[in-house]
Amino acid sequence: MALSDYKPMMERCSNCSFCKWIPFDKMKSVRFAANCPSSTYYGFNTYSARGRFQMGLAVVNKELEYTDKMAEITRECLACGACDVSCKVCRYNLEPLDHNIELKSDALKAGKISPVQKKMMDSLKKEQTMIAGKKKVDRAKWADGLSVKDIFKDKAEVLFFPGCQYSYDKKLQPIARDAVKLLQKSGADVGIMGTADACCAGRAYQMGFFDEYTDRAEKNIKAIKTAGVKLVVTPCSDCYHAFKRLYPQLGFNVEVLHVVEYIDRLISEGKLKFKKKLDMTVTYHDPCHLGRQGEPYVAWSGNEKKILNQIHTWEPRRPRYNGSHGIYDAPRNILKAIPGIKLEEMERIREYSWCCGAGGGCSEISPEFSDWTATERIEEARATGANTLVTACPWCKNNFLGATGNNGNGIKVLDIIELVLMAI
Amino acid sequence: MALSREIYEALEAIVGKRNISEDPGVLETYRCAAAQSSAHYGPYAHRTPTPQAVLMPGSTQEVQGILRICNKYKLKYKASTTFWSSHGYIGDDYAIQIDMRRMGKFEIDPKNMIMTVEPNVIAATAQAEAMKYGLTCNIPGVGCSSSMVANVSGWGGPGPSSIYMGAATENLLCAEWVFPNGDILVSGSAGSGAGWFSDEGPGPAQRALIRGGTGTRGEMGICTRISFKLSPWPGPAYLPTEGPVPAYRAKLPDNFKAYALCFPDWDRWAQAMMMLCDSEIVYIGHRQFSMFGRDIKAAMLEILVDPDKQLCDIPTLNKDPRVQKTNKSLKIDMYVVIAGMTPEDMEWKEEALDKILEIYGGWKDERCLEPDMEEWLKTYFIRLGHKNLNYTLCGSYEGHFGLKGSNLIYSASICEDAFALKKEGEKKGTFMAAVGGDASMGGLSTMGGGGGSMMWEFFAHFDAYEKESVSGLCNFITNVSSKYQSDNKLGHDFCRSTELCRKKDGYSYSDEELYNIFRDRPQPAPYIYQWKIREAFNPNHLGGSYYPVLDPKAQKK
Repeated sequence: MALSDYKPMMERCSNCSFCKWIPFDKMKSVRFAANCPSSTYYGFNTYSARGRFQMGLAVVNKELEYTDKMAEITRECLACGACDVSCKVCRYNLEPLDHNIELKSDALKAGKISPVQKKMMDSLKKEQTMIAGKKKVDRAKWADGLSVKDIFKDKAEVLFFPGCQYSYDKKLQPIARDAVKLLQKSGADVGIMGTADACCAGRAYQMGFFDEYTDRAEKNIKAIKTAGVKLVVTPCSDCYHAFKRLYPQLGFNVEVLHVVEYIDRLISEGKLKFKKKLDMTVTYHDPCHLGRQGEPYVAWSGNEKKILNQIHTWEPRRPRYNGSHGIYDAPRNILKAIPGIKLEEMERIREYSWCCGAGGGCSEISPEFSDWTATERIEEARATGANTLVTACPWCKNNFLGATGNNGNGIKVLDIIELVLMAI
Repeated sequence: MALSREIYEALEAIVGKRNISEDPGVLETYRCAAAQSSAHYGPYAHRTPTPQAVLMPGSTQEVQGILRICNKYKLKYKASTTFWSSHGYIGDDYAIQIDMRRMGKFEIDPKNMIMTVEPNVIAATAQAEAMKYGLTCNIPGVGCSSSMVANVSGWGGPGPSSIYMGAATENLLCAEWVFPNGDILVSGSAGSGAGWFSDEGPGPAQRALIRGGTGTRGEMGICTRISFKLSPWPGPAYLPTEGPVPAYRAKLPDNFKAYALCFPDWDRWAQAMMMLCDSEIVYIGHRQFSMFGRDIKAAMLEILVDPDKQLCDIPTLNKDPRVQKTNKSLKIDMYVVIAGMTPEDMEWKEEALDKILEIYGGWKDERCLEPDMEEWLKTYFIRLGHKNLNYTLCGSYEGHFGLKGSNLIYSASICEDAFALKKEGEKKGTFMAAVGGDASMGGLSTMGGGGGSMMWEFFAHFDAYEKESVSGLCNFITNVSSKYQSDNKLGHDFCRSTELCRKKDGYSYSDEELYNIFRDRPQPAPYIYQWKIREAFNPNHLGGSYYPVLDPKAQKK
């Protein structure tokens, strides 16, 4: 799509500002009522989905050309999709998240690329990761010493796809190795991509670099298809979203599970039993790309159609991604199954969860904003009385730790896999 | 005329670099397609002017500093917080937009049932905080996304719960008001340091200045803090909603019930409404979902309680016999929430309601008694968090006819004529959605303590960005609905109120233009009074034209 394709949506945004708040029916306090980190941190309407629609309309109408500030604002959207959920409580014909990302892309097409973005894209092209400074040659080191199949050498049914954070972060690497062992122990025929492993490029998409994303994604799809695996399992929510929601748009049709879904299945089938009791009070952070954006892709092609004179609909019926079918229960089922764990929910959960601050490449592009976003979430977690903040995405975990100088501000930050491994 | 560096830097010195912008992209997002607020502001391309700068003050002192600079340089301004509709936007080229988002502090005095808030406390968050103390607040009809300060101090503020809790005009207690000239007045008891509990003192009373029927509409300085009355909430400390988005359902205890009350004809409907008002059993009362249109309201209800249904499902749903049955049942309806303060109170209210239905041959719609719908209805009416459904069909709607505050008996007797006219309009052209004529809604009684009135508003759903849709609707309103109103001596059309606020092109009226409008009014005294108020407190006329005034010298002899 092009930005101009969003013109009907830009025009019909009714300026209600619902996109700045969690769904009103869910509000419990003033303190945790906002949903959009960008508009909450920066304040101006411009940073909200409605502001982005208005800015986009002026660009499409050729009333404005991107200023440096406008380009900066397009980048400072976490692509977390909280606005999308709140908008769709009432609206049936607007797609704020898709538009926000398209606007980023349009600014890039106008030549507005920041040095940090360029560095990330150079890294993606050259080193096949968006974590600048990391090298392709080091990517497979996470699996050193691990007895696991290489899907290109030995046939395997299940591909374990660790993603960039688990591949490069030395603190996370042991967890990835243990996750593979867990899958193996459950009887899964698991393999990894070895030296062919690369970034899923989902972040490039979130940042509006569509060509770069497509190039990397097509290579990954080809590799996975060649290997002939039947299932992809990933512990990274960004990768999950890329495989589940984005890659199918390029013809990818392999089943995809986040590791929490896989573990949840093992528990419900009686294949995984927890032996240790963990006396912990935890709260769970829903990663945006596993939760509200974790809904499966449904192919659609069509046009707007007005019925009953003026009511805007789509023909054929357009899939409606509003977060209602995201992955929320699987991680909670796991937590409930672990003896001794007490789950205390935060005020903003499930489809109206507050972002960790790492989305849309913002942890690199706008670190101060990203850190503030993470700190807000940690404050919310602390307000529950929990001593541990659990999540299911390495980007979230690292952003929480990074924002608090790796000490969690008095609260422990764990990936759910770590918790599972502690309990077996 | 761009702001001089001298002015910009003076403003920047007050709010800080981070909280002011003159970037064209930022300024663009402080404009509004005027036709979205009212078709009369069309054609579709008309937008409110671009401000010279946008500022976000963080305190009353900063607001004061800004207004002093505005007076010094004759720079117009408009303050807003949530920016829903053109009312919050400037109407002049040489003007700045003040975004009150940074001011969001609040306090609750539960014992005295008072809440004090700054502008960025919206109705939803105010209610959520109040519920922790067994209290709640009137949420205006515009919905819970609106600023409490804006509604309670600046506009009318009636809503579905006004029958029990009173409208904004009745709930304002004290206010911290930065005068248009930059002076600060703290009114009522707070003005004498006695606390924020009374609007009439001990301390300066400003009700006649700041409030009245509709308030100052944001034109006379800036309210930075207000206190308002809270009402009892006999429920849990938060709204316990479950279910998938957007069909959240509140699982409330048995002392809360929502009903769709239906009647065989408008006469009996009106009599029953009068008795409901008199009996004081209604916690929330609103004729709501007819706003979608008589032919599609049951289908819309099914769409709204199912996360997988969409607007394109309307035709299919309308063929469903169950939906058809509900539509028929809901033809002449009223939605109420009954809340019992004690089990005995609930029992009495339920019995009284049943008796009223029995007397007037009414019934409770069966579909709305089913748990999924009943729980959703309670959520909807208690929080009023779905009000953007007003825009969901076409992106814009016009509230026309509007038998404002009218006697229920009389308005009910003529509403079918009005519906028939609208239905004819829907058939004659494609400019508005064809939804079956009756697309009316309104709160049952706009005054606390009862009163047999209803704030009728008839919806016409249109596309603000389709030229023919805007012009077609304007013609319809001028030639059909407004004509009907005047022919039947029903006062001016509802939407004409917004027409008086700014011109078609989105700009403010000049003083002369305003005087030309109001000199023809049969009772010009309030406008002359307001002119005097404006001259005293806003000598540089820095607001727009939302505050209706008439210079006594321009009065018709």
